[in-house]
Amino acid sequence: MGSSNKQLFILFEAASGYALFEIVESEHVALQTSEVQSAMSDLSRFSKIVKMKAFNAFTSAENALQNVNDISDGIVSEDLKNFLEFNLPKVKPGKTPKFELGVIDHKIALAIQEAVGVPCKCNDAVNELIRGIRLHFDRLVRGLEGGAMEKAQLGLAHSYSRARVKFNVNKSDNMII
Amino acid sequence: GRGGMKGGQKVIIEPHRHEGVYIARGKEDALVTKNLTPGKQVYGEKLIKVDGSDGEKVEYRVWNPFRSKLAAGVLGGIANMHMHPGYKVLYLGAASGTTVSHVSDIVGQEGAVYAVEFSHRSGRDLINMAKSRTNVVPVIEDARHPLKYRMLVGMVDTIFADVAQPDQSRIVALNAQYFLKNGGHFVISVKASCVDSTVAPEAVFARERNKLSESGLKPKEQLTLEPYERDHAILVGEYRPLAEK
Repeated sequence: MGSSNKQLFILFEAASGYALFEIVESEHVALQTSEVQSAMSDLSRFSKIVKMKAFNAFTSAENALQNVNDISDGIVSEDLKNFLEFNLPKVKPGKTPKFELGVIDHKIALAIQEAVGVPCKCNDAVNELIRGIRLHFDRLVRGLEGGAMEKAQLGLAHSYSRARVKFNVNKSDNMII
Repeated sequence: GRGGMKGGQKVIIEPHRHEGVYIARGKEDALVTKNLTPGKQVYGEKLIKVDGSDGEKVEYRVWNPFRSKLAAGVLGGIANMHMHPGYKVLYLGAASGTTVSHVSDIVGQEGAVYAVEFSHRSGRDLINMAKSRTNVVPVIEDARHPLKYRMLVGMVDTIFADVAQPDQSRIVALNAQYFLKNGGHFVISVKASCVDSTVAPEAVFARERNKLSESGLKPKEQLTLEPYERDHAILVGEYRPLAEK
């Protein structure tokens, strides 16, 4: 994928927890072509390209809310730091890592590089892969089938949105114009 | 009070061409959706109860085209609104959730509506409505920054946008990039004067169609919302159309 032949991991932040995927067969993937687009929509083909490496569920509703607030603000939480340090290959001091971590957001990429020392990558190719992961997520991670993923989104969206409205103490509108 | 739909008036429900939408034929005809939460109104809309096929009462809610641009589009003859039972819809500019509640009726319990609204005042109503409608996921956040809500939203079949902002097309394109399936659809309500009040509405719509095309959002249909709204159009199209089979 792209010019480098480094091993590529992908971070996916979900309502239920953090997930790490590993990209295999990446050399053969020329992105944005109709062929890859159809592979994206087809789980059996997509799961040959993207393998789940790790998933850490949030421990409670409060824990999930803390993490969604941090991710939204581009902050690396202690949970995310631990998750990446535990599941990515170790980065040896003084050596160039042989892998990269694909993330969706430049802001969190910079924060991860700073806090964890892992080289991050944000580009169209990474975004395409994350689109595929978002599409198939409930079938790539065990235990999320049958509506568990939507349930997690629903619960977290309520607590996130409630907090947004509540913290606006003067009850005036935040005009967007 | 005693509206036209009450008082022993015989009302017959007919399915509309769009699945999940119905027409109540009585003294006056009305566009309606089947109430997902029977007994509950969302914004004071009229409820109509009729006998279902199995003798059970079925409740419908009147969908007012003067209060909902999507309803105006349906009455205006939109070819396809790309909201079917079971669909996932990302709704940008959800406001207090009046139209969102009808979309929630249409997609049903198997579907989902991710409803994004930035105004905290409207957001409160939206959150309250979503408490009883569990297929509505309320997201109080700025639709200009979709990455802020990436943990809350899944891949969707359709994006509906009614944000009345000059950069509306860009906002839809940004969200499509992260959340709209290949071959998914967009339905956008464009108020010409919100985009540019110095040129003719048709010129504004043409420019918006071009902007959308450049982002992979291929417009396929344009519909005026007269007589319900002035100088409004609904643009419908497909995102990254899938290769023809």
